[in-house]
Amino acid sequence: MSSPSLSPEPAERSRQDEDARLLQLVASGDRDAFARLYDRFSKPLFSIALRVLSDAREAEDIVHDVFVSLWEKSGGFESNRGSAFAWCVTMTRNRAIDRVRARKRRSELLSESVPSDLGYEVNEAGAGDSADELWGKEKAAAVRAALANLPAEQRAALQLAYYSGLTQQEIAEKLREPLGTVKARIRRGLLKLREFLPSRL
Amino acid sequence: MIDERTEEVASLYALDLLESGEKSAFEAALRQDSALRSLVDELRQSSSALFAVAPAATPSAALRARVLAIPGRSAPAAAPAKVETNVLPFRLPVWSPWAVAAGFAVATGWFAQLYVATEASLVAAREGAAIARVESESTRQLLEAERLLGQRQIADLRTADVRIAQLQQQADLASFKISSLASLLGESSEAQAIAVWSPAAQQGVLSVEKLPALAADQDYQLWVVDPQYPIPVDGGVFTVDPASGTARLAFRPKQPVAQVAKFAISLERKGGVPKAEGPMVLLSP
Repeated sequence: MSSPSLSPEPAERSRQDEDARLLQLVASGDRDAFARLYDRFSKPLFSIALRVLSDAREAEDIVHDVFVSLWEKSGGFESNRGSAFAWCVTMTRNRAIDRVRARKRRSELLSESVPSDLGYEVNEAGAGDSADELWGKEKAAAVRAALANLPAEQRAALQLAYYSGLTQQEIAEKLREPLGTVKARIRRGLLKLREFLPSRL
Repeated sequence: MIDERTEEVASLYALDLLESGEKSAFEAALRQDSALRSLVDELRQSSSALFAVAPAATPSAALRARVLAIPGRSAPAAAPAKVETNVLPFRLPVWSPWAVAAGFAVATGWFAQLYVATEASLVAAREGAAIARVESESTRQLLEAERLLGQRQIADLRTADVRIAQLQQQADLASFKISSLASLLGESSEAQAIAVWSPAAQQGVLSVEKLPALAADQDYQLWVVDPQYPIPVDGGVFTVDPASGTARLAFRPKQPVAQVAKFAISLERKGGVPKAEGPMVLLSP
């Protein structure tokens, strides 16, 4: 299957190159680069952790742990396998999900009110937005547009899979669909998202 | 060419939704297939885009201070060592060749030790890969056994409609739960087991290896942990071949099982018990 949209646009490529450069500097012990990366990444990473955990203190702990890993293991980042930002997003999301799974029993998860569509909250741009914040908002708008191209049932399955910490079976129960159907929706949704995204993160 | 089934498993893997057995098997396949690795990287990249649907939030200023204090506590692993190339400002003492020789001897010893340690790591890695291959083959054989078991049951059915329904259920391999059980006893650390569970058929197959031989008045007993019950559900008793410690058990729990959280095997008195009393021998993660 082809992946026509994975080549970043020039502005995006420039941003990714800057992220990768900062990460290289961090690997050589550059504290200023580390602070700069924190300023670029901390808000989106915190937003993800908060969305998964619904607890600001725990979300900050996750972001702190991610930056510990970033400081200690940034030399292990492979730029040919994805962008530095996506690497950090995956690390944050996986750690938050691990924490959710550790602290909650399955029955508690199922009884919680997890909406089938986890929202399209629009973050309005304000006068005081920094360049990083504007980038985040533009990226969010592009991703929402890509998500809007997905059938609602694929979108719901994907968002539950990404944010809820539920297992495959639990997602099927939540959506009241057979497990095979849910797996197929996740596959199709993720492949379409790859196709529709204007560029990689 | 990556087929749809593999794409499906890759998608679930990218979202960290595979259970331990499936995950290990898929990671073994990933190590062999660069195209599959690329697909997983791309799917991870795409799934990361979902960050954008989280409502924007700002961490506290205290977090920034905490994070920026991290560099003071440790050094980056990849930080290159600084090499000093200063010219010595004094004449070398007369014993310096001996010191160099002693240093060389110490370095040689250190490198020899490092070589032995690296060799041991390589052997351990090779053994790990061999175990993964055996587990993969064992799982494949169990699935085949399950398929044959299903076919035999289907042959016993009387009407064509029921046969078709059974076939459809049996063919849905994706619904099987495969769990590996790890040893909990020091003296039986090599013991292992794999359970294949079909939620639709409410039955499973258990295969164990290297379990200690039983006394005449003892049985091993399988337990199925389902969160809807306060105690694990009895999955039946079995004995092992005293010489090899192997056994294979087709089991059907005593109560309907909605969700298998874990499998466990305990050592019990002959004939089994309604509630586990003896020590746990094997447990799935």
